[in-house]
Amino acid sequence: MKKSTRFSSDDTQSRFELRTLLETSRMLIESQDPDFVLNNLLLITMGKLMVSKGMILIRKPGQYSYVISKSKARGWHKEGTDITLKLEVDLQKNPILRGDEYTEVFTQLGVSEQSTLFNLRTSNHHLGFLCLGPKGTQQPLSDHELEFIESLTIISSVAIANSRMFQELRQINRKLDRKVHDLNTLLELSKDFNLMVDRDEIARVFKFAMLGQMLIRTFFFALDVDDKKTIVAQSGLNEDPSQENLDALFELDDVTHCVQDNDSAFLTNNDIKLVIGLRFQNEKIAVVGVGPRANNEGYEDAEVNFLESLGNLALLTIQKTLLLEEQIEKRQMEEELNLAKTIQEGLLPDPLPTIEGFDIAAINVSSRQVGGDYFDIIETPDNGHLLAIADVTGKGVPASLLMANLQSMLHALAPIDVTLNEATGSINDIIHDNTPSDKFITFFWGKLSENRQKLTYVNAGHNPPLLFRKGEEEPVLLEEGGVILGAMPSMMPYESSEIEFREGDLLVLFTDGVTEAMNPDQSEEYEEHRLIDCLNRNRDKNSENIMQAIIDDINSFSNNVQYDDITMIVLQVS
Amino acid sequence: MKNFSIAIRQKEGISILDISGELDAHTASQLENSLKSLIDDDKYSIIVNCNGLDYIASAGLGVFMAYIEDVRGLGGDIKLTNMNDRVYNVFDLLGFPTLYDIHDDEHEALESFSND
Repeated sequence: MKKSTRFSSDDTQSRFELRTLLETSRMLIESQDPDFVLNNLLLITMGKLMVSKGMILIRKPGQYSYVISKSKARGWHKEGTDITLKLEVDLQKNPILRGDEYTEVFTQLGVSEQSTLFNLRTSNHHLGFLCLGPKGTQQPLSDHELEFIESLTIISSVAIANSRMFQELRQINRKLDRKVHDLNTLLELSKDFNLMVDRDEIARVFKFAMLGQMLIRTFFFALDVDDKKTIVAQSGLNEDPSQENLDALFELDDVTHCVQDNDSAFLTNNDIKLVIGLRFQNEKIAVVGVGPRANNEGYEDAEVNFLESLGNLALLTIQKTLLLEEQIEKRQMEEELNLAKTIQEGLLPDPLPTIEGFDIAAINVSSRQVGGDYFDIIETPDNGHLLAIADVTGKGVPASLLMANLQSMLHALAPIDVTLNEATGSINDIIHDNTPSDKFITFFWGKLSENRQKLTYVNAGHNPPLLFRKGEEEPVLLEEGGVILGAMPSMMPYESSEIEFREGDLLVLFTDGVTEAMNPDQSEEYEEHRLIDCLNRNRDKNSENIMQAIIDDINSFSNNVQYDDITMIVLQVS
Repeated sequence: MKNFSIAIRQKEGISILDISGELDAHTASQLENSLKSLIDDDKYSIIVNCNGLDYIASAGLGVFMAYIEDVRGLGGDIKLTNMNDRVYNVFDLLGFPTLYDIHDDEHEALESFSND
């Protein structure tokens, strides 16, 4: 009622004020910038009341703290000044504080008592004050003026609260954007890493992603492969870490925020702020260190998490490449072994030569791809034949190399008319001179005479071949000769010995893979007596079947588990 | 090979890198090599014109981080120009505008070099 009376009393001015209010409110509400709102509030009110001093106080966190947000007054506080204004809580709710009523407040503010404070508040928050100095006319503010300014402060307060909320939202949005970007980086790099097999490239991309993402320039990435710790990528280090530095880095906690005083010289000199250990199957195999962030922000949980995630990604990719390489190497080795196997098989006689008047069978079964057993039947220029069987100590590639060596010596000697015992001495010396002292060969060879009736043999430490005379169950052992090949120089000459073959005789040459085959619980060997029994049970068969009977017997004894190479020659005089 | 390319021009004693395409984990090393060779040739005033740049990943930004201090330490600078909004947004999100001199166009960047 009061208002309408006043409007009618001064219609023109009222309309002008209404328009000002309307336009101001629109401008302020639409603005999303609190600074703009405050500045306009101050200028409009100063212009409207024609006061020459004015400022805006904005409340800060803390009970009595305010900052001078805007100041258009010479001699008053400057913009940006922090002040303390002790006000009773009730006064923070008053819309208007007049200088002549609250002199104590204005003394604290350091402004004249003709000034007025207008509360900037929303329904539940006190935001600050608009402080206006005395009018140029020195007249006190009229009720009408007070009411008008109060309306403006209410509109402005709402606008400020809105724009603050808007800014808060914008900040939250930005944080979300940043999170989305972080996730995108992880996702993208996981795809990129998948295509990479070069460890240097992986480490380099990890480095650049960290530099860009964290806004840093100091970075290192150390890796522990096969107990060797090395820096695989770095940027901005003043010095490379020593081996001791690296060892110490791997001893740090998984997440270590560096503290200048307590840390090693390496961390301090390079201004490393954070060191993170990365684990693979619970073992720490990588360490990442990062320097200060250029935006002066620290490393919070979010950054540590991101660093760990990206680090683990890089680490897994590197692990993958290591496994891949291992696999490739393994496959290469397998291929080479297969090739070696083919070569070794070529060193054994195939097909087995036939010798008139004899029924011969032979077999060589390696427990691995390549082995150290050897047998041979070589025709000599005088129409006789050399029979040989040998077992190199050890297994696998080293044994097979020595076996190949022996094979080539025998084939070189075969065309030459040498006596067996002298030749054995020479072979021993060559092997002794050319092989490590822990490599030996047990070796038996014999020369079958041209008329097929006589076998001259030398046994150099080999399991004695068994000669079963026709009708006899106890074999003759062919033991004459000397020490195993390669153990020592030939001090004593090897002795040779001779046997006569008669129709129905059976000669079996074998390696220790036969007699030392183990039963399943590894407590007993096959041994010679089982071999002899088996041979006696199968005497009526041909050589091939006798040999198969022995193999079957060994397999049933050992439950088909073969530990050593097995080699045999079975020969019957027909 | 991904769609990324770099061309180098010289203008008023300043090296201008025109980069275009996608600067990501795979292509970051190309940018690194270009910056390295400029530094090796004692050319420290560098403008990177991003006019043709469609996309930038964190690894691409990392290359700038790795070299900015070296270049500034030698009395030069790396200034960035002509970014599209999407690319600028990534720079902005990670806080680059406070560290790098970013200009709307190349001319502006050239001028700011002569004012330095």
